[in-house]
Amino acid sequence: MSEANTKKPSRRDFNRGLMRGAGLLAIVGVTAGMGRRMRKDNTVWQLDPDKCVQCGRCATECVLNPSAVKCVHAYDICGYCDLCAGYHQPSAKVTDTAAENQLCPTAAIKRTYIEDPYYEYAIEESLCVGCGKCVKGCGAFGNGSLFLQVRHDRCVNCNDCSIARACPANAFRRVSAEQPYILKGQSGEARA
Amino acid sequence: MKERIAAILVSLAAAGAAVYAISWWLAQDPSRQLGQRVPYMDDPDGRKAIAAQQDVTKIGSIFEQINPAPTRTSSSWPRFKGASYDNISAGSVTLSFDWKEGEAPIAWSLDLGEGHAAAAVHMGRVFIMDYDEEKKADMLRCFNLYDGKEIWRRGYNLSIKRNHGMSRTIPAITDRYVVTIGPKCHVMCVDTDTGDFRWGIDMVAEYGTKVPGWYAGQCPLIDDGLAILAPGGSNTLVMAVDCEIGKVVWSTPNPGGWQMSHASIMPMTVAGTRMYVYTAVGGAVGIAAEGESRGKILWKTTEWAPSVIAPSPVILDDGKILFTAGYAAGSMMIKIVTSGSGFDVEPLYTKNPKEGLCSEQQSPLYYKKCLFSVMPKDAGPLRKQFVCYDADGELVWASGKEHRFGLGPYIVADDKILILDDDGVLTVIKASTRGYEQLAQVRILEGHDSWGPLALVNGMLLARDSKRMVCLDLTRRDE
Repeated sequence: MSEANTKKPSRRDFNRGLMRGAGLLAIVGVTAGMGRRMRKDNTVWQLDPDKCVQCGRCATECVLNPSAVKCVHAYDICGYCDLCAGYHQPSAKVTDTAAENQLCPTAAIKRTYIEDPYYEYAIEESLCVGCGKCVKGCGAFGNGSLFLQVRHDRCVNCNDCSIARACPANAFRRVSAEQPYILKGQSGEARA
Repeated sequence: MKERIAAILVSLAAAGAAVYAISWWLAQDPSRQLGQRVPYMDDPDGRKAIAAQQDVTKIGSIFEQINPAPTRTSSSWPRFKGASYDNISAGSVTLSFDWKEGEAPIAWSLDLGEGHAAAAVHMGRVFIMDYDEEKKADMLRCFNLYDGKEIWRRGYNLSIKRNHGMSRTIPAITDRYVVTIGPKCHVMCVDTDTGDFRWGIDMVAEYGTKVPGWYAGQCPLIDDGLAILAPGGSNTLVMAVDCEIGKVVWSTPNPGGWQMSHASIMPMTVAGTRMYVYTAVGGAVGIAAEGESRGKILWKTTEWAPSVIAPSPVILDDGKILFTAGYAAGSMMIKIVTSGSGFDVEPLYTKNPKEGLCSEQQSPLYYKKCLFSVMPKDAGPLRKQFVCYDADGELVWASGKEHRFGLGPYIVADDKILILDDDGVLTVIKASTRGYEQLAQVRILEGHDSWGPLALVNGMLLARDSKRMVCLDLTRRDE
């Protein structure tokens, strides 16, 4: 064994190694932090319709006005009923489009006669405030084809979602930005 | 001087700006973006009215004899809710629920058209109002109770589309007559033995009946040779038709314009007076069932007037009647009391679905002085639980969150309650006012929406889901 190989490291070598280690740790830390940040940036808030209790807070707690939460419709599980519990007031005597018979406070649901006995219901998103009244009615007596979702064309994706904070059912969670909606129906398709 | 001029100019400019701002503000119409919400916005061209103009339906025009008729047998479940209008089997047959694990004692089964129409049984024959999608026809089908073989079928062509099923009524049967109401309110009377056509009535065309949402659910009643029907038409609320000749014997006017609901007419007796109780869309009514005053209104109330009513009135003791309905309507208990020479309605209590017994689709049971029902989905913590309430509206027991049911039927037999859930699972519990005690559970149907009411005759239980009917032999003991 040569003398060079058995030579003890000098103080300078030790400090140099220490600096190298610290630098490496810093690089790893910064990279990990950026990775975490990137993962976080690739998720968005979404509302789980199976947990939603239609409390109405989506309409009032969002930092946006009107809320970024809107009603969407899974057409493949809709019954296309004449009397629609998501469209009509429970006390409605007549199943028509008169204001006193409609449940939606902002007339955001459009009803169209298709053929006897079917009617189609469509959400006009610009009018929807996310109150969930229609969702409650549809879930209580219908097939549950109307449900609420955070619409990502307007959601500002707050780090700390104010609706999620107020949600009594813990129905809000982060989901992948690549699949930002939690949809109902066999096809998983829903339209606003 | 310059300062004065400047001050005047500034003041004038400010005043001009203010005038402009106020003018602009006043010129803005805050309602310009508002639209009217008026009727018929969903059908501006009146396409629905055009579609309603259909050909006249030739009721009873189709007949097929398929198999020879079997020998008559006694015992029957001759109408909706059975012989006593209470969904309680009066049979003395001891039922067995000692089934092998997961094996229901199915005697026979057969396919039906999509719907919730259920069976009535008389003289060993099963009668069911079915819709044949292939032939586009309402068909009254007659089967042998003991082997499920079809004997004959009688019907008429009618084009209908599925709307949460198509057929949903139960025939009424006597030794001589079978009376049916089809999905679009066509009444047909045929001979019980042969299926020979006797008469028919199109309640929409002849009485101005509005077909209820999801089609008619009213089951006819035959009382002393008269078919008691509730067209809820423009002039006739309820009427009696002679089953022999099809002629209207008496009718009750409908000045309030009440409409047909899914509920069926229930008979009751108060202070020795027989009457028919009906809950129309618009109000509830009691109509004299006998004597010179037949057809006259004895009492009525508009305090019970939900827009959708599926359960029929539940007749209790001492003139009490329970009304209940889904869609947040809840329930109402009234008492019919004598008043001078007539009757009055005394409201006892009203409950919303979170406060008291309620049913969305099936008629609650009244047994051992208590009411039994499956609570609707809007009943809060009790949602979909099987519950027992006393007649004063107090909860006695509930099945608990581990035992939830759906919109399926339930009956009492052999001091037990048989409950069918949406998915075809039959649960048997003790018919007890002390608590929920489950005795047996087995899947008897594979489909969904097992909502058609049950019928039980001589230990043979008939049940259905949306597309299939099964007959269980509950007298069979598996070793």
